[in-house]
Amino acid sequence: MTESNLSLNFGPQHPAAHGVLRLIMEMDGEVVKHLDPHIGLLHRGTEKLAEIKPYNHSIGYMDRMDYVSMMCCEHSYVLAIERLLGIEPPKRAKYIRVMFDELTRLLNHLLWLGAHGLDIGAMALFLYCFREREDLLDCYEAVSGARMHATYYRPGGVYRDLPDEMPKYSANRFISEKKVKQLNYNREGSLLDFIEDFTDRFPSLVDEYETLLTDNRIWKQRTVDIGIVSPERAKDLGFSGPMLRGSGVEWDLRRNQPYEVYNELDFLIPIGLNGDCYDRYLVRVEEMRQSTKIIQQCIKWLRDNPGSVMIEDNKFASPKRDQMKHDMESLIYHFKLFTEGYSVPKGEVYAPIEHPKGEFGVFLISDGANKPYRMKVRAPSFAHLAAIDEMSKGHMLADVVSIIGTLDIVFGEIDR
Amino acid sequence: MGLKKDNDDLIVQQGPGFITTSVDKLVNWARTGSMWPVTLGLACCGIEMMHSAASRYDTDRFGVFYRPSPRQSDVMIVAGTLCNKMAPPLRKIYDQMAEPKWVISMGSCANGGGYYHHSYSVVRGCDQIIPVDIYVPGCPPTAEALINGIIELQEKIKSEESIANG
Amino acid sequence: MAKENYIKLINQKLSEYSHSLLSSDHEPLFLVDQSDLVKICMILKTDNELDYSILIDICAVDYLTYGQADFVTNEATKTGYSRAVERKIIADDDDEFPDRFAIFYQLLSISNNSRITLKTFTTKSNPPSVHSINKIWNSANWFEREAFDLMGVHFKGHPDLRRILTDYGFIGHPFRKDFPTNGNLEVIYDEDKEEVVYKPVSIKTRPSVPRVIRKDND
Repeated sequence: MTESNLSLNFGPQHPAAHGVLRLIMEMDGEVVKHLDPHIGLLHRGTEKLAEIKPYNHSIGYMDRMDYVSMMCCEHSYVLAIERLLGIEPPKRAKYIRVMFDELTRLLNHLLWLGAHGLDIGAMALFLYCFREREDLLDCYEAVSGARMHATYYRPGGVYRDLPDEMPKYSANRFISEKKVKQLNYNREGSLLDFIEDFTDRFPSLVDEYETLLTDNRIWKQRTVDIGIVSPERAKDLGFSGPMLRGSGVEWDLRRNQPYEVYNELDFLIPIGLNGDCYDRYLVRVEEMRQSTKIIQQCIKWLRDNPGSVMIEDNKFASPKRDQMKHDMESLIYHFKLFTEGYSVPKGEVYAPIEHPKGEFGVFLISDGANKPYRMKVRAPSFAHLAAIDEMSKGHMLADVVSIIGTLDIVFGEIDR
Repeated sequence: MGLKKDNDDLIVQQGPGFITTSVDKLVNWARTGSMWPVTLGLACCGIEMMHSAASRYDTDRFGVFYRPSPRQSDVMIVAGTLCNKMAPPLRKIYDQMAEPKWVISMGSCANGGGYYHHSYSVVRGCDQIIPVDIYVPGCPPTAEALINGIIELQEKIKSEESIANG
Repeated sequence: MAKENYIKLINQKLSEYSHSLLSSDHEPLFLVDQSDLVKICMILKTDNELDYSILIDICAVDYLTYGQADFVTNEATKTGYSRAVERKIIADDDDEFPDRFAIFYQLLSISNNSRITLKTFTTKSNPPSVHSINKIWNSANWFEREAFDLMGVHFKGHPDLRRILTDYGFIGHPFRKDFPTNGNLEVIYDEDKEEVVYKPVSIKTRPSVPRVIRKDND
């Protein structure tokens, strides 16, 4: 019997490669012996660019890192700056941030489910998940003006308060007035009414997705017992988030090291049993349901508690426009902030958050200047992708596609 | 700046006649009615490209149907930041496509480096590597803007005199 | 357990190795010596009371221009911020790097719900080097490869130290402070040779905001 090792190049342009992944696979027939991921095909040097820009100018870079869950990445950076500055946003801003974080979690898990399903073969799921994502992107657009890269969080709070009106469809020669009225039924009120309507409908939609997949023989055959990771190996490999919880480790930053207002909210953390792809799928689907619960609690609080969404200290937050035009001091603050930016005191801080993919943290070193001295981003997908070799040994080529899907990787944050 | 396509500088020896114009129209109608892009979502613009293909802004009704293999496609939508490491594979994919082929550069990173213009590892515009027909601005361009770009490309194809040019 | 008790416990367990607490405003930050690094990490991971089972992150830092500003405001200077041209920073030509490179390790203990940060300076050789802790925490594998690629720090004992993020055949270590932001080379397609070639970079990075250090933050 002669041993025949085949070296195969998977990617970088491949429909299941989730972006730009180049895998050099050594196979023995159909079975994988060794995988060597080549990354860096989207390495844009974000951390180096952040060193030449003032702090607020780099918030946009954080959006573009994990470009399927934008606001969570901004959140980590903004938390790091706030901890170094020693300031805290007003409570209303914290609730808005938590609500948008959970909306972002839904965005991420919906895209993950759609792409994972598409890779494994459940193609209809892609269309259903993206239909939901469109509504959530409308929320982003209503609050910041941009569908994807919102740049909404700022150190000290958020950019502006939630709007009282949602963008609406209008009648034209293709859609009649009657149809437009039907389409606009949930856009008549404010943004909170729109999100509330979404959270009322969403659990039944998740039921739809589960009906398609959870007890499906084909889905189970392709995900059960694939890519099993034991809890000790998961900790050793630096896993976090659903990858760690799918293996049975009870760890969620929102519960164990709460930040913002998570300690006031009531939600459950799903934990898996076996550590295979199926368990991680169940964990993420249940997380979608729990996120809906959190969003509902936030909506209730936000309705009952109006207030400001940015700190009053004008050294870090720009003064209101009409104030700036009438008051000399506000003008000086405005000038200083927009030409030079604020200076952050010396120090080092690491600010992690429970990102949908795992633990996303920003390590910020400041030497007292208006630009960061060193900003390092700890991306969860980086550690997860490093483990792909160990997870796929002995599996077949088709299982590698399932494993790439379950890792929930996005190249914006791996390559930075 | 950037690469130009071959037939931009071509001088037409004989003007278009009646028969070539009608056949032109037919050929262009066939070409624009079924433009198959190759899936090249590099970064964030790739997500908006997916949104343009999904339920709300369905591009399938324009005949745009994404193909994974470059040999079966005729449009390449460069969606996302092009890095130095990715430039040779991108050129390879472009070379594997059969004529006639077009390129849409989507997003400011693909147009001219964009938000990452000053980085050491980013190609300042994919037109340094491949010739581009349509530039779609935005960061990322909304799905509607991409559909507008596809329609502009259809207009451009319709105005090309393919049979007269040979 | 409260943070102060943790710091006391760690001081007690690491008493035979030189270490010092640099700050405890956020997570406790300990400075350790790079020769004791592996032994200290082994204690932190295997001790039952400490149990730092997850290595979260490894960050390499270059202290070449720490505390330097483009624009000094409290006194007049002969040189200044000359209309937004990025200053060319040249590192010392010696073979010995002074205390220039440091590595930060972020550790997490799930059972104790605590985080600490370890800081160690590299050796003063060229290239600067540190022992690899891949045998202790396997997650260090790619983090150390990234630190090597971007900062040029060599990790002794790493099983597979090669470039991970930068281009194939890239020369230089981009995140060092003497490497220009726009790099040295860029790519273009050469129509005659029919392949993608490298040529010297054609743009100049002009940061529009000077780097200012203000000491009046109160």
